[in-house]
Amino acid sequence: MALHKPSTTKRILTVDLPMLAILVFTLGPYLWMFITSISDESTLFTEGPSLLNATIENYTRLFRTVGFAENLLDSFIVAGGTVIVGLSLSVTAAYSFSRFNFRGKRILMLQFLLINMFPLVLLILPLFVLMRVLGLLDTHIALIIANSTVAIPFSIWMMVSYMNGIPRSLDEAAMTDGCTRMQALRRVVLPLCLPGIIATGIYIFITSWNEYLYALTLGGRNVRTITVAVQTLIGEYEVQWGLLTAGGIVGALPATVLFLLVQKRLISGLTQGAVKG
Amino acid sequence: MKFKTLTGIASTLALCAGMASADSTVRFWYHFDNADNPMDALVAAFEEANPDITVEAENIPWNSYYDQLYTAVIGGNAPDAAMVKMFAQPRLVEMGALAPIDDWLADWDGADGLQDNLIELTKGPDGQQYYLPVQYVVLYLYYRPDMFEELGLSVPTTCDEFRETAKALTRDTDGDGQTDVYGFGFRGAKGGHDHWATFTLGAEGVSLTEGLTSEAGVAGTQFVADLFQQDGVFPPSAPNDGFQEIIGAFKAGKTAMTIHHIGSANGMVEALGDNVSAAPVPECGGGRWTAFGDESTAVLSSAEDPEAAWKWITFLSTEGNNTMFNEATGQLPVVKADSESWTLHPQRFVQATVDSLPFAEMLPNSSATADFVNTAWPTNMQRVLTGDIEPAEMNAKIEELFAE
Amino acid sequence: MTHVSETPKHRASLGRQVLPYAMLTPAVLVTLAIVFFPMLQTAWMSLHEYVLFRPNDFTWVGLDNFKAALNDEVFWISLKHTIIWMCTTIPAQLLLGLVTALLLNQEFPWRPVARALIIIPWALPSVVIALMWVWIYDSNYGIANEFLLRMGLIQQAIPWLADPDTALASIILTLTWQGFPFFAVMILAGLQSIPQSYYEAASIDGASAWRQFWHITLPGISGVMMTAVLLRMIWVANSFDVIFVMTGGGPGYATHTLPLYAFIKARTNLDFGYGSAIAVLFTLLLMVVVVFYLKRTGKAVS
Repeated sequence: MALHKPSTTKRILTVDLPMLAILVFTLGPYLWMFITSISDESTLFTEGPSLLNATIENYTRLFRTVGFAENLLDSFIVAGGTVIVGLSLSVTAAYSFSRFNFRGKRILMLQFLLINMFPLVLLILPLFVLMRVLGLLDTHIALIIANSTVAIPFSIWMMVSYMNGIPRSLDEAAMTDGCTRMQALRRVVLPLCLPGIIATGIYIFITSWNEYLYALTLGGRNVRTITVAVQTLIGEYEVQWGLLTAGGIVGALPATVLFLLVQKRLISGLTQGAVKG
Repeated sequence: MKFKTLTGIASTLALCAGMASADSTVRFWYHFDNADNPMDALVAAFEEANPDITVEAENIPWNSYYDQLYTAVIGGNAPDAAMVKMFAQPRLVEMGALAPIDDWLADWDGADGLQDNLIELTKGPDGQQYYLPVQYVVLYLYYRPDMFEELGLSVPTTCDEFRETAKALTRDTDGDGQTDVYGFGFRGAKGGHDHWATFTLGAEGVSLTEGLTSEAGVAGTQFVADLFQQDGVFPPSAPNDGFQEIIGAFKAGKTAMTIHHIGSANGMVEALGDNVSAAPVPECGGGRWTAFGDESTAVLSSAEDPEAAWKWITFLSTEGNNTMFNEATGQLPVVKADSESWTLHPQRFVQATVDSLPFAEMLPNSSATADFVNTAWPTNMQRVLTGDIEPAEMNAKIEELFAE
Repeated sequence: MTHVSETPKHRASLGRQVLPYAMLTPAVLVTLAIVFFPMLQTAWMSLHEYVLFRPNDFTWVGLDNFKAALNDEVFWISLKHTIIWMCTTIPAQLLLGLVTALLLNQEFPWRPVARALIIIPWALPSVVIALMWVWIYDSNYGIANEFLLRMGLIQQAIPWLADPDTALASIILTLTWQGFPFFAVMILAGLQSIPQSYYEAASIDGASAWRQFWHITLPGISGVMMTAVLLRMIWVANSFDVIFVMTGGGPGYATHTLPLYAFIKARTNLDFGYGSAIAVLFTLLLMVVVVFYLKRTGKAVS
């Protein structure tokens, strides 16, 4: 943000150290979870989590007997599907809101917000009946649809704000060059708001990944996401701390890895001179 | 996991084959504290003995178990059989969700093998039988024999002794001026009503449906409040403590006594070895009261093949299988023969359980019980502990709830 | 490409009129069917006395549930907490997220790693976060108390979640931890659309880092920031799963919020009619806040 390259010490003081502080705050609990997950469970309460007698037994149990790999796969399918459905529906809708003025625009945008204002938990019963009637209970599709409806309103609003940041003149330039609206969208606007798309995609992925209520109600034996699997480790009389923390650690990894992979695209500069014909 | 997949494939194949040759499927919901899928072994054994029935057992997370069950019943997708507790029975019966089992029970020769009285205890509110007991626990008092010996204390048998003992146990062990050990780990969050009940409902003439607002009734709640506010024998976190907190604190040596049941016994022994033991809860106000922790199975009225569902649940409450079931859950078997040969828990805990049976009780069989357990008790108890309301008010609210 | 521009004029203008709606339709249809109608169904339920374990008893009571709610002291307590909740969590998350985004936009060698790690609180399932923080706050063996005791900042372990005075604040801290990565990521994406040339020009003019921030950065991301705050506001107001697992709304009513109360009434007590009424009231209140917010930020729909 500041322009001339600052000296390294200055950079360390103003950037690295604060960043480190924030990361300590961010990762502290996560590391605590990690230590708990590799601690010896029999001394967990008497001595507290510790690295002595570290064991990866919880992780092996997690995959072997709890069947966490299947859960990860289910979560991944649902989250991935939601990203695809959610993004495709919201990008076109957002373009429409961003570029056009038409009757009912305000109402429609507010309608999308309204949907997210209602406590979802009360919608479970009607949704459950709907899915049962459609014969979609315990399928990935049911979860993808349900999660998409939660994700779409937010995504539309976010994409609108990103698209508003791209001057309309660019669209118009493209159209005078002979593109249709849709082509202008595809060739000009989308590449330029790629960071926004990535951010929105991440948002949809994470929201769907962490979703519990719908996954529990609409899922079942065939579709069991990690959020549901992790909840089964909280029993009536016992919390399986080792397995639970292991599940939490593993559960956070896919989103993190995904983000690591796409974060470069998040920072694609606009400065490369937009549309040059 | 491979076994699970194999069973899964086998079940699917059986299901497909079943559709062609009138085989039945029984969908069974359960909640286990054990993550190692022990239901697989039971399912396999059953399917071997009954090749024309396939069991699809689904493990539902405990903290959403009843939410899920009610939703499924209303939404038309209820399982064929499920694990159920007494507090939910009035509601389920009112919803018409359960199938009566009286006729089947009369024909079943395993009925005599169950512990005396269990069938009576689990009768439905309309006199019909819906539940088949499958396991049980009784709450007792855990204590630290090493601490008792150190301070020359003996196990309290009355509430007054309890108070003195708890006060003596609440002490500073490392001389830094802070209390390090508390006398009793009280459970103030949801599920802790059994603790309060031991101190309150044992009194003569006091029960949840009558006498709560009498002097004796209010004295019980006052006793609990005083233990926290005046004597400081509960840890300061008591209002929000759930079972994991009280068990954890006891294991860590932060509390010297607490109330729970045999389900946690093995974990306790693992952490504390011989320094943990159990005794029946003290007598308060003239009588003793402790909670009978029940668990049964039931056939749902919407079951596709009720006979097959009945076969499955009786399988679980039959000699040998009941042992397997309880080895997985860590509770006590309901089959007499199985309890006689029971070796999963150290003897002293089984003894404490058996000794507590004569005064073990369940909550009233009314639909107010669920509200009492879930919201009325925790909220009011927390407010009493934090000084927000008086004990008399709490008792009045609860009496009101059950009077409806 | 050329054949498109030869479309007859009247057809083009009709097409142009329909196109925006056509682009919207899929999204609208899906949300209408899956969410909007169930919402209306629930609103309908709020006008009846409907207890889930008496499914055949569905009696019309008009606005009785609403009157009961407005007379219910727990309703008002929950509302107060919801307001406190929203007014503290969101600015905290925003501020921390903004600072993080600005830092992550700088050049430093381990930037990619930092960027990936920052997302972890957001990526964890709520129940895991709640349980972990319950353990951290535990007054018997939690590290929060141990840490503060060792630093000498407190004399005795504080039961963070059992004391009505500290319970809400403790949960707010947990939620700030969980939520700030959202702002960090969204703002970081927004920062990308500010052309580097602006900064170069300003630097040549001798503007300080602070002035550059105030006059270039902030305006550049204001749109994204305002939208993120709006969305987060709605999300935070509505979310209760962390609170539910950490304290269940207690001790007493100390951490009750409106959606939590609606949940308890509907799912736990099975009083669907009353629970729905609370949910409807909550939605209406939130809508008022949102409309007000949109008017103020002028971030309307243009």
